[in-house]
Amino acid sequence: MTARTRYFVILSLLVLALGVGTGLVAYFVGLPTTALQRAGGPDELRFVPRNATLVAYANVTDVMGSTLRERLRQAMPDTPRGQQEFQDQTGINIETDIDRIVACIAPQLDGSSSLPGTGLVLARGRFNEVRIEALMREHGAVVEVYKDVRLIVAEPRTTTDDQGAVRRIDGLSLAFIESGLVAVGSTPLVRHAVDLKVGGDNVTANDELMALVESLESGNLWAVGRFDALASQARLPGELAARLPAITWFSASGHVNGGLSGVLRAETRDDASAADLRDVLRGFLALAKMQAGDRPDILAMVQSLQLGGTGKTVALSFEVPPAVFDQLGSGAASPPPQ
Amino acid sequence: MTKTAVKRPGLLSSAVKIFDLSLGQMLWSRRSVFLAVLVGGPVLLAGVVRVAIAFEPAAMPRINGANVGGAALFGMMIWLLYIRFIVPVLGVFYGTSLIADEIDDKTITYLFVRPIPRAAVLVGKYLSFLACTVLLVLPSVVVVYFLVVPIGGGSVGREFPSLAADLGMLTVGLAAYGAVFALVGARVKRPLVVGLVFAFGWEPGVLLFPGYLKRATVAYYLQALVPQAMPQDSAISMLMQMFQELPSVATSLVSLAGITLATLWLAGRAVETREYVLEQ
Repeated sequence: MTARTRYFVILSLLVLALGVGTGLVAYFVGLPTTALQRAGGPDELRFVPRNATLVAYANVTDVMGSTLRERLRQAMPDTPRGQQEFQDQTGINIETDIDRIVACIAPQLDGSSSLPGTGLVLARGRFNEVRIEALMREHGAVVEVYKDVRLIVAEPRTTTDDQGAVRRIDGLSLAFIESGLVAVGSTPLVRHAVDLKVGGDNVTANDELMALVESLESGNLWAVGRFDALASQARLPGELAARLPAITWFSASGHVNGGLSGVLRAETRDDASAADLRDVLRGFLALAKMQAGDRPDILAMVQSLQLGGTGKTVALSFEVPPAVFDQLGSGAASPPPQ
Repeated sequence: MTKTAVKRPGLLSSAVKIFDLSLGQMLWSRRSVFLAVLVGGPVLLAGVVRVAIAFEPAAMPRINGANVGGAALFGMMIWLLYIRFIVPVLGVFYGTSLIADEIDDKTITYLFVRPIPRAAVLVGKYLSFLACTVLLVLPSVVVVYFLVVPIGGGSVGREFPSLAADLGMLTVGLAAYGAVFALVGARVKRPLVVGLVFAFGWEPGVLLFPGYLKRATVAYYLQALVPQAMPQDSAISMLMQMFQELPSVATSLVSLAGITLATLWLAGRAVETREYVLEQ
């Protein structure tokens, strides 16, 4: 065997041994995901508590810069009142200051299970911290320092429940967790986000939820939630709760560009539940097609609805063509009939 | 003066010597360029996919609106690139040439006049084929695995058993295809044509139909060893899945070992008994 051949054999065996060895170590000991690729999902997920029942994401830059948004703006030129009010109160212009948003709902930290639970919004962008703090203080907020982070806390209020018991409701809090990252939400969750800054059990450790998040990352809008947890906290009437499909997880992902495309997925408890849900949706789709028969623009959208999924998964994909928004725009712009 | 009897070397020791001689020849031949392209292609493809997805996450392939994870992508690459193409092609091109090349180059006489069993020439060359292809294909699979599986948050640890099964399955596949085509090369006059017809005509054709004929293929037993599900990439795949009645892993392993040993023995017998006429 020549030296050249020997070197080739050694190199080849080395690659093989290194690969198999790494795989073995990863299998038995585990390998940090970041060693090979960053964990899926936006970076802000590390401030979201592990037990979050709903996580949503929006790439604001993409959505605001989309052709769809431009079309809607032309059709409805007035700035929405809510957006203006938000800017007046916080000094944050959603269109220009925010790049992306991660929002979550988590169970109450005090153990009570009723909705709305506690919510948190993490916004990444460019913020005038001094102006925002001044504006919030004008509205009665107070500043407290928590683990070296300034928390701007709106005053808590009290309420009386059905049994006459007085209950304290935490106000909203705002904190700049990192440069360019603001957390707004219920005070306990904002505090928890500050805690998670130095590490801890965040939502990226929730394998079930993260698997869904990673499968939806291509959309510029998405949401993932635990349907059964949300439904059980919602205090629904018994009959309605009994009729709800046996869905465990749900997810929605959308991509906004000229139009809007997306997919809604549901994970059911078993294959039979998924088959039932598919049957129900098939019926609704047939009904929608029948109803949209004389509206070609709506028919195009209804025809884009595709029902899919196998096993416990039910998927419904859709595509709203730009023409539908044009139609909506022209409808909004035209004067009402006399 | 004493007369010493010269002992003729055995089959195994002779085969090892031929292996040593042939491995270098096989690795650094012109055919190796083809081999490098063949096993480098999937690595290049995996690298491109990885880079494309790193820069543009929306570029991820999707099924039913959901992104295809790295593990599923790796499974598809194993099926479509390695099992259906690379392994049979390597078997055909290298297996059929083990003896045919020596005949074409008119160098087989030099090997046959050596005091070694003629079958050792074939066995040694077969072993060098196996070493050469295994040393190229398996590292290529490992590199593809580490490039593709982490895409979309896949875990290299969780999927490791399937990689191990794939490596074993590909080795067994190369051994079986190599032995079958070594027999073709040793017995048939135009082995490459026959080999190509067998690998890309007979095997996929027979697998489409129900019945016993599929048991006369290597692919039937090899497919049972693949840990990943067969992708539904075409109407042919769907037909294959419809008529799929895969044997158990044990049956497949025994059958593939039987095919390998039987065809190798028959090829050795053919080389031992056949008169090779070198055309002038």
